[in-house]
Amino acid sequence: MKKEFEKLFKSRYFKYILAFGIIKKIIIILLILIPLTNSSQNYYVYVASESDDTVSLLKFNNNKIDEVQRITVGTFPTEIEGPHGITIDPNGKFWYLSLAHGNPFGKLIKYSTETNMIVDETTLGLFPASMQISSVTGFLYCVNFNLHGSMKPSTVSVVDPVTMTEITKITTGSMPHGSRISPDGLFQYSVAMMSGELFEIDALGLKVNRVLNLENDMMDHKKMGHHNMKDSKEMMSNDNMKNKMSSMSEMKHSMVKPTWVIPHPTENSAYIAGNGSNEIIEVNLDKWMVSNRFKSGKGPYNLEISPNGKFLVGTIKSEGRTAIWNLNNKKLVADIKNTTSISHGIAISSDSKYAFISVEGIGGEPGIVDVISLESLDLVSSVEVGKQAGGIAFWKKEI
Amino acid sequence: MKYLTTLLLFIFSFHINFSQNVTIESNLEGLVLEIGDSFTPESFVRNSDGTTRNCDVIIYYNKKGVFNVGGSIVQDPSTGKIIANEPGQHEVVAVCVDSKNNGNRLSQTFLVNVNFTKTKSISLDVETEIFSGSYIPFSYTAITEKGNNRNDIIVDITSSNSEVISVDSNNLLKGLKKGEATITVEYDGVKTSKKIKVKNSPVNSLEIEVSSGSVRTGDVVTMQAKIKDKKGNEISGLNPVFSFSGVSFDSSNSASGLIKDNKFVADIAGLYTLNATFGNITSSTKIKVVERDIKRDIVQLGTGNVFDKHTSDAWFFEGVDGKDYGVSGTFFDGLAYFWDVSDPKNIRKTDSIKVDARIVNDVKVSKDSKICVITKEGASNRKNGFVILDISNLNDVKILSEYTEGLTGGVHNVFIDNNHVYALNAFGNPAKFEVVNIEDPKNPKGVGKFELELGSAIHDIWIEDGIAYTSNWKDGLYIIDVGNGLAGGSPSNPVAVANYKYKTGGNHAAFPFRSKSTGKFYVVLGDEIFPDGVDFFAANETTGFLHFVDFTDLKNPKEVARFELPGYGSHNFWIEDDVVYAGMYNGGLRVIDVSGELLGDLYRQGREIAAFKTGSPNGFIPNNTMTWGTQYFKGNVFYSDFNAGIGALKLLDSKPDNSKSMQFTTDKSLNSLFGAKNILELFEILASPPIE
Repeated sequence: MKKEFEKLFKSRYFKYILAFGIIKKIIIILLILIPLTNSSQNYYVYVASESDDTVSLLKFNNNKIDEVQRITVGTFPTEIEGPHGITIDPNGKFWYLSLAHGNPFGKLIKYSTETNMIVDETTLGLFPASMQISSVTGFLYCVNFNLHGSMKPSTVSVVDPVTMTEITKITTGSMPHGSRISPDGLFQYSVAMMSGELFEIDALGLKVNRVLNLENDMMDHKKMGHHNMKDSKEMMSNDNMKNKMSSMSEMKHSMVKPTWVIPHPTENSAYIAGNGSNEIIEVNLDKWMVSNRFKSGKGPYNLEISPNGKFLVGTIKSEGRTAIWNLNNKKLVADIKNTTSISHGIAISSDSKYAFISVEGIGGEPGIVDVISLESLDLVSSVEVGKQAGGIAFWKKEI
Repeated sequence: MKYLTTLLLFIFSFHINFSQNVTIESNLEGLVLEIGDSFTPESFVRNSDGTTRNCDVIIYYNKKGVFNVGGSIVQDPSTGKIIANEPGQHEVVAVCVDSKNNGNRLSQTFLVNVNFTKTKSISLDVETEIFSGSYIPFSYTAITEKGNNRNDIIVDITSSNSEVISVDSNNLLKGLKKGEATITVEYDGVKTSKKIKVKNSPVNSLEIEVSSGSVRTGDVVTMQAKIKDKKGNEISGLNPVFSFSGVSFDSSNSASGLIKDNKFVADIAGLYTLNATFGNITSSTKIKVVERDIKRDIVQLGTGNVFDKHTSDAWFFEGVDGKDYGVSGTFFDGLAYFWDVSDPKNIRKTDSIKVDARIVNDVKVSKDSKICVITKEGASNRKNGFVILDISNLNDVKILSEYTEGLTGGVHNVFIDNNHVYALNAFGNPAKFEVVNIEDPKNPKGVGKFELELGSAIHDIWIEDGIAYTSNWKDGLYIIDVGNGLAGGSPSNPVAVANYKYKTGGNHAAFPFRSKSTGKFYVVLGDEIFPDGVDFFAANETTGFLHFVDFTDLKNPKEVARFELPGYGSHNFWIEDDVVYAGMYNGGLRVIDVSGELLGDLYRQGREIAAFKTGSPNGFIPNNTMTWGTQYFKGNVFYSDFNAGIGALKLLDSKPDNSKSMQFTTDKSLNSLFGAKNILELFEILASPPIE
């Protein structure tokens, strides 16, 4: 069989077909590119409004962003259920929404992008928040923020979105937030806001892989005997980890208050928003250590990196601003005032051209989504959505 | 050509490779376990050509999910090890994560059956002596070898003498004649038997007695039967069966009513026959039921309009300056309004307070009228809780403090009682209410809390005489001692006394009241149900009703009556002097007579005294009544309407004038539409020759 293939590759028939294939490809590429030069692209984004129990589907045409549809979500008609996290299936056919409030557990709701109707749902943990789907396992990893009551270790729920089954809950730290998957789909990262830790979960093994303490001043915690948690590469059992984290969280109140982590799309590093310490923390994932800290504005909240790896975009929640850093030199290249107060979430278009920023507003104010051009580095359009706009996800670019 | 064929085969095989039907095979297939068994599966991938391979990683899970596994089967996702906890059929999903899948999902669902172990014993609970002519109550329980009780089985029941005790097609037993018979129940090869003695009925005569022979609709008639033996001696301890039939006075209507135990109530005026039966002996009597005839006029005195947003809860009270005031909450910009309602015909706004919240759902005022508490939901910093206000000057309301501890999920309802605020955290972990001491209102301090079971709900709270009544949606009503002493409870140590659940599962509000006319103690439980969900910017459908539960015996509550308005649902309500003032959402405000003993369908019984639609043509949703809540205050009926603000009504002594009930339009509209002063003039105009 191998010899036959070698003969085949050397044959003129194969060369003819190959040549024909190349010509055909060139024609197809030209056919694709020609209309692109004349017509605009449309970008679609979903954004959840936490105090309105609505999700808005937005369309941006390179010039102006509009609300295409506002979808009412939730099951308790008289109470706000707080749609918080939103993510799109890698195949683009479904969007998933976490409802933060429940009795007492929140929910994950699966919607069709074709109809924006509910497909299925499942129960998660307490105050489920941000989430993402691994392209390798196909599972969705959602942090259970647990805003309620005393600070104690919470969990990451792992859901099979095909059957909408919560497969397991993996115990992490206190108030976990910012669930993001590594580019290779093998690891899930989240930060624990109150215990000040970065967690790496083995997306296949469904266990905590590594924990990194993010506090700058470790003195107090070393006295408490927690320093051995730092740089730990040991694969711990879940129970072992749970016990250690439980004792740690009871005593520890993070100064960093990390609220988000985003792994770099091409490099083996991750960036963390230090909401309490007003800084961005760079973590070397190979060495599993903090490699850099640089100041942000007051209260950095969410972070995203453009798919081309060039820009780090961060919402500076307390100031109502969006900051953009060039990741080549870690220099701030833009600091843009958002249209209203309390900047929240970020979604970046797949072509790295635009950042869509959800901005909450206060009280009766509507939420707003600002569009920032990552080419001109300025705000190009805005649209009002429901109150307390938060979770935001880029769906697709359409020609 | 040979090369071309090879190329096509190559392309074709490549295509097949992507579309092949790859499956997971496992020894989970057809697996049957016994309770308590454990099992670790072995699985592999089978290609369509029959070849097999191992998968890099197989993740297993129980399709019922994490939340339910404790009650079904427990499964380790990475090893797939199953521990069988509960009988039944369980779905186990195996997902193969492998680079050879070319990015395609490969998963398989297997059915695993967990069986009960063999039945070890059956117990039969039945009276051993009964009278002929009666059905025999009985129950049975099967217990497995591992000690599980089974209530899912249908046993075989046999009678050793079917002429003495019969077993019908529904497995019901009936004593037919004097004698003895052995009843045997059998399941899974295990049986148990009991001998039952059937005695001749000692009843020779029966005489029904009723508490009244002439009543109104809704009045409860108590029936009793004197049962005597052959010697004329009265026999006690026997329970006759009561029944009724009737004929309506209105030929367009049908007689209807209800019998519960030995109580009868009629919905419709008519002539009713009441029967008492024991065995083959029946006694009857007739009673006359007339219309209840309690309708009264109700008029609107004034309104405090809020048309630019929704209005939520309201509370009306006498201020420290002796004038009358109200406070109301709003959706969606954190506002609460204060009103001077001293002159209900001229309600005017005195002040407003804005807090960092989207919804101020509930407002309450302390008994001394110095403190007002408003709730917060949707705060920008997600710290919700409640805000304590100084209302000693209603023209200058001031914020004293804010309390958020343990209440960040949002507070929907509060109650103030004896210097404590009881604040609900509906989305807490678990659902709970926090008790906060406000003796120093600038420095509120949490002193206690009441937590429900994980997964339970809580929505509203009302406190009277040191007892809290919480409304808990599907979990019904909780009665909690918070200082009454009934169960040793206190604000810092709330103690649950009773719980009552009911089928609609929509318990939204509770109001306790002791009937002035009967002394019975009721708790009225109101549903809140939006069958089609809520659209805050359009008219909504509502359903649900008021449940009247007799709590005279706290340990044995009995739901005895309902007020259900056809086509409309219920919300908040108030009870004063055996009259319910109910906010029935789009059904408006309804005034209901709840005097006397309560039984059955109060609406059908004609117990509605008055009705008023509180919506406004200029409302947030124009002409859409949504009566949120009511309060009887100083002789007037105050209300809040979701779309219109607040208002005051007066219930008059006069009866409604129905003389124009058949008139198809009012004189006023006749005049404006046709220039006619009355219907006769309209006919004259219509009969006039056309103008040429």
